[in-house]
Amino acid sequence: MPLENPFQDPLRFERRVPECAMVIFGANGDLTKRKLLPALYRLAYERRLDAGFAVLGISRTPMTDDQFREKMLASVKEFLEDSPFDADVWTAFAQGVFYMAGNFDDAALFPALDARLKAIDAARHTGGNVLFYLSAQPSQYIPIAQGIAAANVGKGSGWRRIVIEKPFGHDLASAQTLSAELHSAFEESEVYRIDHYLGKETVQNILALRFGNGIFEPLWNRRYVNHVQITAAESIGVEGRGAYYQEAGALRDMIQNHLSQVMATIAMEPSATFRPDSVRDERSKLLRSIRVMKPDEVLQNTVSGQYGPAHIGGEDFPGFRQETGVKPDAQTDTYAAVTFFVDNWRWAGVPFYLRSGKHLPKRVTEIAIQFNAAPLAIFNSDETTTAPNLLILRIQPEEGISLKFLSKRPGSGMKLRPVSMDFNYGSSFGERSPSAYETLLLDAIIGDATLYTRQDMVEASWAVVDAIQHVWDNTKFDFPNYAAGTWGPKAADDMLARRGHVWRQP
Amino acid sequence: MGAAGGTIAPDRILHDMADLWVSLGKQGEGDAGVLRACSMTLVVAAEESDDPQAIGETLAALMPEHPSRAIVIRFRAEDRRSLAARVFAQCWMPFGHRQQICCEQIEITASDASLPDLTAVVLPLTVPDLPVILWCRSPRIFHLPAFPQLAVIAQKVVLDSAAFGDSAAVLGEMSGAAAAGRLLADLSWTRLTRWRELIAQIFENRGQLANLPLVTDIMIAHRAATPTTAYYLAAWLIDGIATTGARPRVQFRSDGGEPAWRLSRVEMRAPGSADAIASIALAERHAAEVRVGGLLNKALLPALTDYALMREELAIPGRDPVFERALAAASKLALS
Repeated sequence: MPLENPFQDPLRFERRVPECAMVIFGANGDLTKRKLLPALYRLAYERRLDAGFAVLGISRTPMTDDQFREKMLASVKEFLEDSPFDADVWTAFAQGVFYMAGNFDDAALFPALDARLKAIDAARHTGGNVLFYLSAQPSQYIPIAQGIAAANVGKGSGWRRIVIEKPFGHDLASAQTLSAELHSAFEESEVYRIDHYLGKETVQNILALRFGNGIFEPLWNRRYVNHVQITAAESIGVEGRGAYYQEAGALRDMIQNHLSQVMATIAMEPSATFRPDSVRDERSKLLRSIRVMKPDEVLQNTVSGQYGPAHIGGEDFPGFRQETGVKPDAQTDTYAAVTFFVDNWRWAGVPFYLRSGKHLPKRVTEIAIQFNAAPLAIFNSDETTTAPNLLILRIQPEEGISLKFLSKRPGSGMKLRPVSMDFNYGSSFGERSPSAYETLLLDAIIGDATLYTRQDMVEASWAVVDAIQHVWDNTKFDFPNYAAGTWGPKAADDMLARRGHVWRQP
Repeated sequence: MGAAGGTIAPDRILHDMADLWVSLGKQGEGDAGVLRACSMTLVVAAEESDDPQAIGETLAALMPEHPSRAIVIRFRAEDRRSLAARVFAQCWMPFGHRQQICCEQIEITASDASLPDLTAVVLPLTVPDLPVILWCRSPRIFHLPAFPQLAVIAQKVVLDSAAFGDSAAVLGEMSGAAAAGRLLADLSWTRLTRWRELIAQIFENRGQLANLPLVTDIMIAHRAATPTTAYYLAAWLIDGIATTGARPRVQFRSDGGEPAWRLSRVEMRAPGSADAIASIALAERHAAEVRVGGLLNKALLPALTDYALMREELAIPGRDPVFERALAAASKLALS
């Protein structure tokens, strides 16, 4: 049998995926409806999936295969963003969509799952390859892992992989427990911890910008970089998820995972190759180099915030404590800002400011790298002539890169003004960018874990965040401390001002 | 911005372009201004009779993905030497943005007799440090004796062998040019990408890949006299299957109809089996039916407009080894 497909044409064809079946635990949930099935349909539409690709949904609700297909058809139509729907493509794709009802705590579910997978393999030639996807409640992760291990469904004639969604525990200890349970059924190399931020085109473009160009890397260090700001702002509040959110908070929900992964991508050393483990090793090393704060450093270098009620654009918005399901004295952080330092030769002494919050003025995620000023100001200095050089990497909503620098104003005299050189991802290439889930699902099926988080990375970021969370848990904050629609508490401005910096307004 | 009657000066065109950017900058709202984008120089050689609106629309559609300085040369079959030029810009405003993005376009009208003068005009107009791609839309222009002088400024020349008529002759001609070191692209090969991609996807499945050495017969059905697309596909399939040690026979079958280059069916068969190992057949509404291992799938085939074909080719400004291999093999197959 030939080992390689001789018909591949990497210059023209998209990456192809091997045959497989995908098992979705929590198939009746929001994530499946809003993200997973639309992403899979889109991959089918783009001819990226094998002809026999199969999806087996599992949840508690009794349904037939056809009922599940109908439900998923409605979801795909509703949540298919910027893509056309084609009935013929759906009909062919839906032939491979199956369903089984079951309780994840029920040990009998897993042998039945094994039998169903064998039947699907026989009918659809999936080669014994199975991708398990945990789209269930986090509390169900361990029972599912135990069920898979007990019935030995984690091993088979082909490859087996498991994708899990965050949270990967709620602290370091619980993250280690979860990992140990997953490892009872899967090797670490078979566990794909998804962080959809890493699937975004612009986050991947950070690697291209840094390691595909020769001009940036010499500047990418403490000698030239003054500080880095990473902002992930949401303009909405908790939107009915108050009960869940009050147990999480911005520090755990955003900074422990998404923002620390983005920071690692910005600050990591170049990897020797672009192989998954090579890239992840460097990311992991960076996360392990983030200085863990001592208890007496935490309140100086972090800010916890919670939004209060506000009147914006003629509309009244409730404060977090007035949201449904939230305790009236909740101490949850809907805003978190931290100052991290990386203890390595490249970054020693350079502050990395990370902030994330709900009900901020706009939805935006960006990284701003501020460079040191010119060593000598030879022009008449005013506010504009001292504007710093900034490299802005916008992750959402308008993915792109801007470089801000000073230029001479036309006319006599030497007056400078800041100008911006913009690269807009969407308009420069004009192509539809795949959604983060399309990218990440394809990667998992192909077996490319570059954009997935490894357990050592999870543990490293928990170690940093736990030190902060522990102090916050033992502090009574005077919440609310910022009004919805503002850029967060004044204390966050003060935190930067202590080092002579100011937050950039995205 | 026109130029003097019978001649054009590249310096004058460059000056006109500089003026154009100044005036576009002044038209910009507030600080937003216009953004100049350029990733290559695209030279289009077309007949004067070629629909200027269609070419303009194709270039406008290509600009957002392949922002280029476009130099459109419109040739007139005339013995008297004459050249004229004008410059203008293609701009677009990305949805939700304040800033216009613009690319330059230069239009040159030339008589056939002026072709030897053109290289000296076009060369200074190309954007430094970026690839130059020449899209020749007419077999007549390609066969003009002075065409190689123009082609030499381009890294790659894009042709459409479907316009040349005699498949064996054009494949031989292109294969000879490629062997001499000229980088070529053929839009007839580009038309096959989705067919080839469907075939490649079938054999991503390990079960199907194991069947590949069993293929003894390939059948390719097409619309009219065997087009270059059919030769290309046959050559590519034979080349791929040959890696398993097998040497399948190829049968071409004409179903009649238009356009001549369109394929209607591909089958790969093993002896003693009623069903094909794999087959792809053209269905209604730009779709293809893929039959493999008892499963029937439907895939959409995008419309093969000039825009879609050029969009794909412009993404490969360098060598395309798969095409080069297929061209050499298709040329031999067509002559056999």
